[in-house]
Amino acid sequence: MTAPGTREAVAAPAPRPATGHRPAGYAVVGTRRVSFLLHRRAAVVAVLLAVLLAAVCLAYLCVGEDFVAPSDVLDVVLGRPSSQELVVGTLRLPRMAVGLLVGAAFGVAGGLIQTVARNPLASPDIIGVTQGAGALTVGAMTLGVTSYAVLPYLSVVGGLLAAGLVYVFAWRGGLHATRFVLIGIGFAVALRSVIQLFLTKGDYLVAQQAQVWMTGSLNGRGWAEAAPLGWALLALLPAVLWAARAQRTVSMDDDTATALGVRLGRTRLGLVALGVVLASMATGAAGPVDFVALLAPQIARRLTRTAQIPLLCSALLGAAIVVGGDLLARKLFAPTELPVGVLTAAVGAPYLIWLIIRGHRTRTRTAGRGRAAGPRSRASRAAGGEA
Amino acid sequence: MTETGATTAPTTGEPAPSRLTARELTLAYEDRTVVDGLDLDVPQGAVTVVVGPNACGKSTLLRALGRLLRPRNGAVFLDGADLARIPTKQIARSLGLLPQTPVAPEAITVADLVARGRQPHQHWWQQWSAQDERAVTEAMERTDVAELAERAVDELSGGQRQRVWIAMALAQETDLLLLDEPTTYLDIAHQVEVLDLVRQLNHERGRTVVAVLHDLNQAARYADHLVAMRAGRILAEGPPAEVVTAELVHEVFGLEAVVIPDPVTGSPLVVPGRPWAGAGA
Repeated sequence: MTAPGTREAVAAPAPRPATGHRPAGYAVVGTRRVSFLLHRRAAVVAVLLAVLLAAVCLAYLCVGEDFVAPSDVLDVVLGRPSSQELVVGTLRLPRMAVGLLVGAAFGVAGGLIQTVARNPLASPDIIGVTQGAGALTVGAMTLGVTSYAVLPYLSVVGGLLAAGLVYVFAWRGGLHATRFVLIGIGFAVALRSVIQLFLTKGDYLVAQQAQVWMTGSLNGRGWAEAAPLGWALLALLPAVLWAARAQRTVSMDDDTATALGVRLGRTRLGLVALGVVLASMATGAAGPVDFVALLAPQIARRLTRTAQIPLLCSALLGAAIVVGGDLLARKLFAPTELPVGVLTAAVGAPYLIWLIIRGHRTRTRTAGRGRAAGPRSRASRAAGGEA
Repeated sequence: MTETGATTAPTTGEPAPSRLTARELTLAYEDRTVVDGLDLDVPQGAVTVVVGPNACGKSTLLRALGRLLRPRNGAVFLDGADLARIPTKQIARSLGLLPQTPVAPEAITVADLVARGRQPHQHWWQQWSAQDERAVTEAMERTDVAELAERAVDELSGGQRQRVWIAMALAQETDLLLLDEPTTYLDIAHQVEVLDLVRQLNHERGRTVVAVLHDLNQAARYADHLVAMRAGRILAEGPPAEVVTAELVHEVFGLEAVVIPDPVTGSPLVVPGRPWAGAGA
């Protein structure tokens, strides 16, 4: 290869590494027949996040109206007889379990939907999924359905309906990510007003109960919510494992992904459906805890520096945010208990604004770089022009 | 690698049967027909270059050959089977395609991106094999991007980035490789480098390459088989020495030109201008 002209960054013929090239930063785990790629940094981050989450959980169980010693907490968690059985075992532990599961579900759901939309703004609470879940649930509440055995399922139905409508309206011979997000935001606003309508029309007491639910609260939640959510998440675990792998190819552009043999339409639909179900289930259990699905995947990705959103880290982080947030919401303004959703919204909203400003800046910057501008503006191609 | 060009075409004896063919291919975007009833046999083991004026349907044709676009009518056949009926992952094991403007995931490293070319050969339970490692290493050394392995694709220059994308397509290890304007956005040195690489791949590995190029002279220099398109139809095809004439250039591009032998390779060289106007007129 003696091409004329200078070649950037490839100066002298550097000594070639003796080993072959793996995807940088990955370790290969397994044998010849069965092998898995493990992102080293993501694995380390996951362990650290797990430790952090454990610490947050311990603090959650210790701190409250009365402080409970960690040794007593451990006794209760391990099922040993303890004098703190009531405070820790009956009051705090079930509520924490709901927070853990809801946070993890939102974390994964946000990651999946953001991946498919290729847009960090496209989290289920921005594009109308949680609002759809909320509208149907609040609607049912005002019509007299108050059984917590039914409401979570209505949530899932509502979330799926909303996402389906957004999908249908955004479809124009193909799914264009930006259109999907914009139409989703429109639906979110519209559904919010539907919820308001139900709240003002409905019975006062029910409306008040629904209002608390709508801000996203763990207050009064327990095993009744945690158990079905836990079983459902366990059942969906194989799907999440599939999704973690499928994300790798969906994050490429459509043409490249298809050229690599990915059934793009089906894969995307599968990922979105899984994300919507997870987000709706979480909403059904604790209401729309705003911005967790937006924050967790993005922070997790910045920590791991992976090319796609690390789902496990995102789940751990989502759980830590919800449990930690609820701890603060309980403690900060005691004896008044703030809904955790208010706290996550207070943190999440500035982040969202920052994300939009930063996104705008990088877009204007790359637009000047000629080459980079082409690949990023896919609108013309998706609209179907001869390239 | 200086003796590139049509003169080193590895065509001896009777040609091997074509693996990739198009029959009565009609391609349309919504209600606009772009390619109309086109037949094409991609010569096996050769470099085929498709040329033509803007919007003649050459990129559209390539997209259809790579199953990125469903034909409105007719079909593309791979080893005799309709492309639309073969599982897409199976196609990806014999047919690679590099789109004109591929988009890398944000912050992905070079080695990670090239490794994704192995996707069609992997399963969820087998995410990395010795075969994958060999293919990726080879692809990266061949395209001279091994030194960039740990760098983020975002940070690279246009020429480096294009070589990385080609490395990804090579790592796929397909016998057939489709390239949509692989030299766009590159300066002339990098254009030559990329085209030399394509030639070399074909020469040493016998890979069949179909490329869309907009530079007629580069096409004439690097192609074994030249396909000239205009308004969705093939006007002429064959070895560049036979196909590229002043008449054809006029017919395809509407341009008055002189065709002289390339001083380096002897392949036809198109010089725009009226033949009788002379230099300096």
